[in-house]
Amino acid sequence: MPSKNYNQKMDHNQGIPLEDDYFLVEPEIALLEDKVLESETTIQGITQIISKKKKRTIDADVLIIGAGISGMQAALDTADKGYKVVIIDKTSTIGGSMVKLDKTFPTNDCSICTAAPKMVELSRHPNIELITYAEINKLEGKKGEFKAQIWKKSKYVDPDKCTGCDDCTEVCPVDVVSDFDEKISTRKAIYIEFPQAVPIAYTIDHKNCTGCGACDRVCEPKAISFLEKSEEIEVEVGAVIVATGFEVLEPSELRKEYGYGKYENVLTAMQLERILSSFGPTAGKVLRPSDYKKPNTIGWIQCVGSRSLQEGFPYCSRVCCMYATKEASIIKESNPEIDINIYYMDIRAYGKDFQQYYDHAKELGIKYIRGRPSNVYENNDKSLTVKYRDTLHGKINEDKIDMLILSTSIIPAKDNKKIAKILGIEADENGFFLQKSLLDNPIQSTKDGIYLAGCIQGPKDIPDSVSMASGAAAKAVGPIKDRKRNIGRNFPPEMNVSHEKPSIGVFICHCGKNIASYVDVEKVTQETKKLPNVDYVEHVMFACSEDTCKKIRDTITILPDKKLNRIVVAACSPRTHGGLFQDTLQEAGLNKYLFEMANIRNHCSWVHSDDKDKATKKAIDLVRAAVAKVSLLEPLSEEEFSIIPSVLVIGGGISGIKSALALADMGIKSYLIEKETKLGGRLKHLYSMFPSDTKSKEIIDPLIRQVNKNKLIQVMTEAELADIDGFIGNYKGTIQHKGKKKKIEFGTIIVATGFKEIDLEGQYHYGDNKNILTQTEIEENIKKDTLKKKPKNVVIVNCAGAMDEKRPYCCRIGCGVSIKNAKLISQKFPGSKIWILYRDMRVFGKEEEEYYSDVLKNYHITTVRYPGEKKPKVILDKNNPKDGLMNVKVYDDILEEELEIPADLIVLTVNTEGEILTDSLKNMLKIPADEGGFFLEAHAKIRPLDFATDGIYLCGAAHYPKNIVDTIAQAEGAASRAAIPIMQGKMKGEGQVAEVDEELCSGCSTCEGICPYNAIEVKPKSDNKDHFIAIVNRALCKGCGACVGACPSGAIEQKGFKTKQLRVMLEALLRNEEKYA
Amino acid sequence: MHKKIPKNKEISKIIFKKGELVKEVEEISGENLFGCYQCGTCSSGCPYIDDMDLTPDEVIRYIILDRKEVLNSKTLWLCSACFTCAERCPRDINITKIMEALRQIILRRKIDYSNTRKTTKKEREKIPQIAFVSLFRKNIG
Amino acid sequence: MKLLYFPGCTLKTSAKNLEKSANAIMEKLSHELKEMDDWVCCGVVSSLSDDDLMRHLAPLRSLIHVEDQGEDKVITLCDMCCNTLKQTNLRVKEKPDDLETLNAFMDKENDYKGTVNVYHFLEFLRDEVGFSKLKQMVKNPLKGIRIMPYYGCMMLRPREVAIDDAEDPQIFNDLLDALGAEIVDNPFKIECCGSYHTIENKDIVSKRAHHITNYAFERNADAIILSCPLCRFNLDVRGKEAELMFKGYKQIPIYYYTQLIAIALGIDPEICGFDDHAVDPNLLLKKKGVYKI
Repeated sequence: MPSKNYNQKMDHNQGIPLEDDYFLVEPEIALLEDKVLESETTIQGITQIISKKKKRTIDADVLIIGAGISGMQAALDTADKGYKVVIIDKTSTIGGSMVKLDKTFPTNDCSICTAAPKMVELSRHPNIELITYAEINKLEGKKGEFKAQIWKKSKYVDPDKCTGCDDCTEVCPVDVVSDFDEKISTRKAIYIEFPQAVPIAYTIDHKNCTGCGACDRVCEPKAISFLEKSEEIEVEVGAVIVATGFEVLEPSELRKEYGYGKYENVLTAMQLERILSSFGPTAGKVLRPSDYKKPNTIGWIQCVGSRSLQEGFPYCSRVCCMYATKEASIIKESNPEIDINIYYMDIRAYGKDFQQYYDHAKELGIKYIRGRPSNVYENNDKSLTVKYRDTLHGKINEDKIDMLILSTSIIPAKDNKKIAKILGIEADENGFFLQKSLLDNPIQSTKDGIYLAGCIQGPKDIPDSVSMASGAAAKAVGPIKDRKRNIGRNFPPEMNVSHEKPSIGVFICHCGKNIASYVDVEKVTQETKKLPNVDYVEHVMFACSEDTCKKIRDTITILPDKKLNRIVVAACSPRTHGGLFQDTLQEAGLNKYLFEMANIRNHCSWVHSDDKDKATKKAIDLVRAAVAKVSLLEPLSEEEFSIIPSVLVIGGGISGIKSALALADMGIKSYLIEKETKLGGRLKHLYSMFPSDTKSKEIIDPLIRQVNKNKLIQVMTEAELADIDGFIGNYKGTIQHKGKKKKIEFGTIIVATGFKEIDLEGQYHYGDNKNILTQTEIEENIKKDTLKKKPKNVVIVNCAGAMDEKRPYCCRIGCGVSIKNAKLISQKFPGSKIWILYRDMRVFGKEEEEYYSDVLKNYHITTVRYPGEKKPKVILDKNNPKDGLMNVKVYDDILEEELEIPADLIVLTVNTEGEILTDSLKNMLKIPADEGGFFLEAHAKIRPLDFATDGIYLCGAAHYPKNIVDTIAQAEGAASRAAIPIMQGKMKGEGQVAEVDEELCSGCSTCEGICPYNAIEVKPKSDNKDHFIAIVNRALCKGCGACVGACPSGAIEQKGFKTKQLRVMLEALLRNEEKYA
Repeated sequence: MHKKIPKNKEISKIIFKKGELVKEVEEISGENLFGCYQCGTCSSGCPYIDDMDLTPDEVIRYIILDRKEVLNSKTLWLCSACFTCAERCPRDINITKIMEALRQIILRRKIDYSNTRKTTKKEREKIPQIAFVSLFRKNIG
Repeated sequence: MKLLYFPGCTLKTSAKNLEKSANAIMEKLSHELKEMDDWVCCGVVSSLSDDDLMRHLAPLRSLIHVEDQGEDKVITLCDMCCNTLKQTNLRVKEKPDDLETLNAFMDKENDYKGTVNVYHFLEFLRDEVGFSKLKQMVKNPLKGIRIMPYYGCMMLRPREVAIDDAEDPQIFNDLLDALGAEIVDNPFKIECCGSYHTIENKDIVSKRAHHITNYAFERNADAIILSCPLCRFNLDVRGKEAELMFKGYKQIPIYYYTQLIAIALGIDPEICGFDDHAVDPNLLLKKKGVYKI
């Protein structure tokens, strides 16, 4: 073996082969060839030789760059359709920024808990090849035939051998500032980013490794390999999705007045997320960095670097108001004694449930202070003094706070510009990737075949990123749609063991030292051998190694005399490893449900490391319980059903149209039904689309033409869904089409029914004076050019009927629309004075904020902020109430005085609600909607386009009002979701489903109401029409067990978790197993 | 609250070249006031804020609302052009220049603001000359 | 090295000690500040109105005279002169139309070609001489003296003409390090001293002086280092007067950086003209044993 030389290290990021090698004096040439020529000891020589070596090439369909939540969603969506995906990430793990967050707004869901299942799913997906610690070096070719060069950096740890036992980090002497923890903690030179990282394999950080070899010496599976080389991999694909994510600004160069980097207790919001995270440096405790004491007061400064024309970026970072609210709420809920101030300019609680979340935060006692501090200084006790003007109370104040959080700008990943160059796509001056056409094709980059997802083209929250990622997956299918697809894995036929007596094999894992050091595995083995039906017991170093998996297969198929038919693995968590072992069973032809795991690591050795005897006893108990249960397990089947290959799209507005077109691009047939006489929805009535000056008709008319021409789309106008029956894959619907009933069949449904303006019921004298119009009406007037008289004063009133007791929500689009229409009016009537009365100016995101700023300056719009509890009043002329000059009385929040503005035109920005169809669809499709009539998605964060019921998807304003860019991203995303079952052709249900005992069932319907997946229906019994019973739809049941617990008659059992199976476990734990055996 | 600012007869008589105060301010200063978000950064960083009757962000608001009484405000004469507000303004509005524009509107109509005769001889000998030149430039024109 | 030097009014009257100490340092460094011919008043306050170029005339005239004397570099000691000259220089370089108008206005002078760069003396010491060089030459280190840097406005704002970071300047820290002093940082180091209000609004300036200095006073600072003659006057004289307004408050001595360098380099303290200061700077230096008289 060549001697190790650790001194000559070079830049790891250059992308030049060999530069990262530890072996420059005696290179591993020695291993490749017997002798070393002198010329080959130089770098050039070695490079030449390496380049002669055969490069690994991967033939795939789609390449995804970046494996954050967007990249992962795009990968899963594409791979689920049967296409082969290569996904790369520059870090050693996947999950991106989302997994750094503690919780997510507005539901306070744990971030890692929602992301981790996706991570595991991705790593185990048969159609996905995951390459971490890798970057793209080169991209050649065009749509349909790209050739990419991927530079995979060496981790110097063999991921197949590494078990994630963590022994290496304990001995590593090098502390490195942790990027994952946003620089507030250190990690070792050999590291894993976080405990749930995927793949769970360690990485040696070449730049910081001193090469002492300590990790090598302690690594039991011998996973450390200093010989491992970085390699270039060639990937051939038809399409590329870019999802390289974002970074947050560290204000150490600009906005220094806030003391970041100078004062210890000034942190960025991302750093606070790490502090709040249960696997962060303080294990979730709120402590300030200077003394690790709990702060008494915490402050947030919003818009640090955002909305700034100097010392920052002109755009709004879109998520900061809500994440600050989230962080503050979480802290306040568990520490009510901590005083919290949030210093802001506008609170942009624009999304679904955001305003309610913000209102709740205020109820918790969080103080929102409207004022942007000028500067901050540190006091002797390391607290900070923040000086600001409370603009709503006209006071200059100084607050002393213990910890200061800066809500800094979202900025593009630093190497975005480099990536843009490699890919040949365009980026803006800040490094955000540009769309080919923002308003009608937001996912398409400036180059064909390359698509954009997530924050790389502007700041975005998680659901908007996920929607867009699904959309990118739909677009990426276009160029490759005719390629061969591969669904699922192929396993040998299953053996029928149902008649056999249980014969159990138990594999007990050492997990290196993780289990074996704290649990006497030999003793566990001996005790297990004594258990009934146990025919084979072995303890192994690593149960998850390919070695052991082979052994498991052999015991099932080869072992003479005692072929096993039940397997127990006593090791770690089924969450991370269950799937691996189940696959192993299937590879051996055994039903995968004849398997049980005992978690003797996470539940035992890790938590009882101080008492080996007791830990061993507990491990014995856990194994005994698993053995007891596995004896009673039955082979389960998964219901397979076919899918009708077409989609019903309800709603012919921009969302429905874009969905249908995206489906057609994937080769999928759809029925597009619209209740009006023409397609186009709201865009038909609008004049132009914010945040731009693009005319609506320039967008919608060509799309309508495309739809009408497309043979895969069957358009029905004046059509409504009258009746529907069936479930995912097999729907039969009746369409009421121009007075006639038409029956159609389809596999999935997209709901794109849009929204409408609410009825103001006479508020603001709407309807009393003909010069009071809604935003939609003013646009129609501008469109038809029916406004003739030049108004002297135009008053636009935002939030009419919004954020009040009756409708506590924000309409998300009103501010943007008001700005756009202010500009339109001003262009039409130059010299008219235009006022906008607003509550918070919610022109969130990149384009909207910049548009707003331009309009204010170029058209001299006067804005007046009014408080929610003092709504503006419209006063009509007594003598001429219907057409006379009006006055608007408004309380100016900032001046703290009432203004009276004369107005000859008043425009009301009216709140919105779900379309008229909401109620009938709710009942027919059994899908939920909120109080505003907007449909409720399966999960606010990571499943924004799905309903909880499989097979039905939603997009556009039916979900919540949104601008056209977000709408299109969602529409294309919903198309992707709806296409998955169809492209899979058939689907398999869950094996562990609920089962109703018809004799015991009284037909009370309790279960029907409680099932979150609409999988239970109470129907008359086939042989006795008077007797109603619950029937479980095995295609829809997810096996959650809710119905089992709710059934008052004990008539429902959950397969795989039957009462008797659980009872024996309990008895086994209580050492009474004989009773129930 | 509508703040009470003492009135000056001469100032009340001013007629603006372009009809509106804001237009004249924009012409002299070259700044666009409508881009202001009324965030108060300028005010909280101002070294003279404690002595001002109108805070700098209020001054901007008054100009936008065409409230001519802003010209009577002490604030204009307290601003010593230290540029702190201008440097920190997120909207890149040079408030320092807006204050100068307001002063200029008055001074260009030959309304002086200083009377150095009150200063004692002893003080006059000690105070650096740059202070005098600054004062004349700011308060006399 | 001979460097062209623009003094301005104050250096010739109430801040002679600043000029003298600077000259003494230059002599020690074997350089020379050569006073330029035909300098005129800089105007002190740079033009703030966009529609009027009048106020750029005076600074431009001096810049032309620098070109006339065959130089492309001019050094200033006064912060206000430096700021005004730099701003006009920047304006005419960025807006050639304005330069044309201004050139057309000058009857006697040549046209300004825009070749001159204006430097603050501190910039020269930092960038050309180097503080490490000064450190080597230190004879009387300012050991044990806790000094608070104070910058004021004109060295730092507007950002385009700043000689250091506008929010967290370090130049005095680096200098004090070289001279062996201890540093007491002060968040108010970049705030205005009260400027010309010292003439008609003495109390406001005393309040400013107190606000700025009190932070240092509470942190046991012994002295303040600064550069601008008006800042020196305000913190020193008006700060002293603030003792009557704020109970228990005691003004600490103020030094020009040139004075502290001169002292540290072992130059005769006589040159520093400490007699002009309101709070005696000598006492501290003697108490700390920097020198004995």
